[in-house]
Amino acid sequence: MSSEPVIRTRGLSKSFKSVQALKSLDLEVPRNSIFGFLGPNGAGKTTTIKLLLGLVRPSAGSAEVFGHDIVGDTIDVRRRIGYLPQEPRYYEHMTAREILRFTARFFYQGSHLAVEERVGATLELVGLAGKADRPVKGFSAGERQRLGIGQAQVNDPDLLILDEPAASLDPMGRRDVLAIMERLRERATVFYSTHILDDVQRVSDTVAILNRGELIATAPIEELLAGRDGIVYTMQVRGEGLEAERRVRSQPWVADVRVTSEGQSVTWHVRVSDAAAAESQLLRLMLADEQIAVTEFRRKTYELEEVFLSLVEENGDGDG
Amino acid sequence: MATVSVPLEPARGRGWLTGFGNMVDKEYGSWWRTRRALVHLFLWLLVINGFLVLVGLDEGRRGPYAALNELIEVFFQVGGLWANIGIILATQSSLLGERQLGTAEWVLSKPVTREVFVLSKLLVNGATFVVLAVVVPSIVFFSQTLLHAYLQPSLGPFLLGLVLHVEYLLFYLALTLALGTFLRTRGAVSGTAIGLAIGGLILVGPFPWLGMLGPFALPSIASIVATGQPLPEGAWQPILVTLLWSLLFVLFALWRFDREEF
Repeated sequence: MSSEPVIRTRGLSKSFKSVQALKSLDLEVPRNSIFGFLGPNGAGKTTTIKLLLGLVRPSAGSAEVFGHDIVGDTIDVRRRIGYLPQEPRYYEHMTAREILRFTARFFYQGSHLAVEERVGATLELVGLAGKADRPVKGFSAGERQRLGIGQAQVNDPDLLILDEPAASLDPMGRRDVLAIMERLRERATVFYSTHILDDVQRVSDTVAILNRGELIATAPIEELLAGRDGIVYTMQVRGEGLEAERRVRSQPWVADVRVTSEGQSVTWHVRVSDAAAAESQLLRLMLADEQIAVTEFRRKTYELEEVFLSLVEENGDGDG
Repeated sequence: MATVSVPLEPARGRGWLTGFGNMVDKEYGSWWRTRRALVHLFLWLLVINGFLVLVGLDEGRRGPYAALNELIEVFFQVGGLWANIGIILATQSSLLGERQLGTAEWVLSKPVTREVFVLSKLLVNGATFVVLAVVVPSIVFFSQTLLHAYLQPSLGPFLLGLVLHVEYLLFYLALTLALGTFLRTRGAVSGTAIGLAIGGLILVGPFPWLGMLGPFALPSIASIVATGQPLPEGAWQPILVTLLWSLLFVLFALWRFDREEF
């Protein structure tokens, strides 16, 4: 299997009159990843997705999807993509089955039976088999979203692009969407934008954060959650620990020690270069000092929300 | 996803016609797999042939040839205007509505070209409208003339008149689609097209030269030809100019829609 990224953008930019919606985006989306594309409203997420699909034209830069140029080879790009728009709109007179059949016919020719089987299987998958022959004009927002997910993957795409897939779903609907995404991971790449950071933390393996049209972070989720300070261990300590501090600082794998106190509680933040060495030796070094007691020892991790907010605020508030 | 027992065959369409069959089928379905075609058929029979019944009752007092010619003239001129307004109203939101509702964005995220998106609408709307508002009323008209004037038009000249009638309608279809690629409201699209149609027919009386620059003289020419009279001198100019305009509108619609951002 090729290790080439599924999506690669170079300096991809888009301006709408005087507004620069996307500024020189350089992005690589690894194959078979669930890639979370985050950012506040107006950050440029939907614009990026529309650029990839050929729905808008880049003002500058270029992008490739499966090695196909998004401008010159847009049909070849779209043959391998399933797309769920932010607010899916369908022909209201059509039934769910007709919508899926219409979508499938862009990708498949020949046997009517084969297409019908695929349509039927997709209706089952998204839980709309019981409403397959009703016009979509009577569908609820959740049913429309399910149909949207169905039409996005009726062609068994190599790349599924979902723009806010869980936005209008109830918790059960969200769970089902995440389950579908995880199921697809084995044979497809999922690129999705969302505001629901819990979902991203649950299923994504790689994340990019966009703010005001600029990419401000992209990394595997573990790396992002580890924080930008590198590997940090925190300890709650009781007692004076000058000797322990001297001993810890002298270790070659220790980069920095910061001690903060709040009331009776003293917290040590030890930044290290080698997590394995820290986990096997750090606590022993501390406990060798009989003047202190360690009441808590853990590797510092962040919630995605913390990382997201800190990055966005650091780069200017995202609204606007 | 469940495994299908019959293998799926990937679509092989290439080039600018990618997705053509599917889009044509979708457009066809929007007329013929709903009640829309039936409603239009009833409407056009009522408006065109129903109106001719009223005219026929009056014309029956004249001689049969005069009555027949009068009926033909009314069929092409009055029926033409109604059908013309009808095609504008029926297709005013064909492109504009899809742009505004977001269905165009959804469809164009699939492997289909923008040319196909526009041309499928032109072909299916045009063909369907010709059937519903021209062919069927014409067949009924043949029976009506027999009832009212005891005569039927000569088939050849009448068909030639119908060709011009169709050209006249397709001009407004092409214009409406072209307007729908850049105007932002249905009122603006239909207002512009209907304004041109009615204004043209009114103004071509006092300013006959206008008939040479567009389709405004075509209903008169069509009715003259359909009654078996020779083509008036200089009639080729509006026929060719209208064809040229229609082609330009289609090319403009393709060009403009290709630049649309969703």
